[in-house]
Amino acid sequence: MKILPLKVNNLNYLINENFILKNINLSINDENITIILGNNGAGKSSLLNALHDLIKVPKNTITWNNLPTSSIKIMQSMVFQTPILFNRSVYDNLDYIKNKKKVLSKYCVEKIIEKLNIKNIENINAKYLSGGEKQKVSIGMALIGEPKIIFLDEPTSHLDPQYKHEIENIIKVISTNGIKVIMTSHDVSQIKRIGEEIIFLNKGEIIYHNSIKKFINASHCDIIKNYIMYG
Amino acid sequence: MSINFLENVFNLIISLDKSLIVIILLSLKTSLLALLIATLLSLPVGSYLVFYNNKFQYFIILMSNTFMGLPPVVLGLLIYILISKSGIFGFLNILYTPSAMILSQTLLIIPIIISLTYEEIYKKNKKYNILLNSLNLNNYSKAKTLIYESRYALITVILTGYGRASAEVGAILIVGGNINNYTRVMTTTIANETNKGNIEIAVLLGIILLIISLIITLIIRSIRKLY
Repeated sequence: MKILPLKVNNLNYLINENFILKNINLSINDENITIILGNNGAGKSSLLNALHDLIKVPKNTITWNNLPTSSIKIMQSMVFQTPILFNRSVYDNLDYIKNKKKVLSKYCVEKIIEKLNIKNIENINAKYLSGGEKQKVSIGMALIGEPKIIFLDEPTSHLDPQYKHEIENIIKVISTNGIKVIMTSHDVSQIKRIGEEIIFLNKGEIIYHNSIKKFINASHCDIIKNYIMYG
Repeated sequence: MSINFLENVFNLIISLDKSLIVIILLSLKTSLLALLIATLLSLPVGSYLVFYNNKFQYFIILMSNTFMGLPPVVLGLLIYILISKSGIFGFLNILYTPSAMILSQTLLIIPIIISLTYEEIYKKNKKYNILLNSLNLNNYSKAKTLIYESRYALITVILTGYGRASAEVGAILIVGGNINNYTRVMTTTIANETNKGNIEIAVLLGIILLIISLIITLIIRSIRKLY
């Protein structure tokens, strides 16, 4: 089932009468890696949460191939900035997601373990893993059930360069397997390495949306210029 | 405390007679049954409360916290009024029976288990809520997951409830009547025998209660190491 194009029509999200997201209009058509950029408090995570139905928005504000998010949520997964894992073994964490997503495939957990090269830690309780290992397991959990779209909220922000590189490679592989990736990031070099489509948010508003090539070569307003300079 | 006194207590421990065994077993039976009933009722309530943020939730939490500090004799008196012959539940005929004692112990520990369960599940829900919502789970599935994730803490909660039930005197004395070989338990026997001057028996039962308390404490400590 095709879930793109994603269309966002005049999305507004307020907390205590302050706009977190303001007049967001968006259309995403390509199965590539879309990166949402912006300074702290720009609304990046809120936009991801809205796209994943974790924030309730008015009907028809967000549609996926003309369907509301609630009807295709089963095809979405999310990886959070701080990995959220259960107090049980890596295998059991993956198995839990398999059961909750009602995945029938018998060996799907084993396949994910093999794909992410985490066989050596499958029997270890998740609480004893390093930050990078935890994030790999989180991505594994998100991959169970063969989602069509994965949201990643700053997935490498707490990781060392080696794990950052490893996670970036995993994200690239995910994208080439026909899964739409929408992620947030602060890391300009990372954006250049894996980004294909860029959305720049400032104070809840989209101020730039285009391909990475155009983003690098274009002349920008001061906000984006400073972001690129110090990012 | 004379050598003779300690010798008497020691002899009682060795020759633990049948009537004392009946008292110990009845104590364990009433406390454990009360604990089982209270746990089955309170765990789901305490867990489900985290999913609601309304006046009903506020009321239940407020009542649970308030009743945690309720003097047992007051609860015993209330139950006595309700189940005595002229009370609205008088037709149950449970006054001065182990059932009345189990009822009072259950009602005594329900607020404790609800309040402490709510606190534990609330902490876990804060951590896992976004993931569980991402998985689009209903409240039943969420509650099951959160209870499982809080399993070690909840065992401590349940053992705390047991400690409260087994130490109870006031309420069960009022509704049980402290009838020999029928509703007499360790705590009421201690009070009774002390009044009669049979300090040795009271001390013996006190030691047994302390041993049970020690076992519970050791279990709690070893469970805490699992966190």
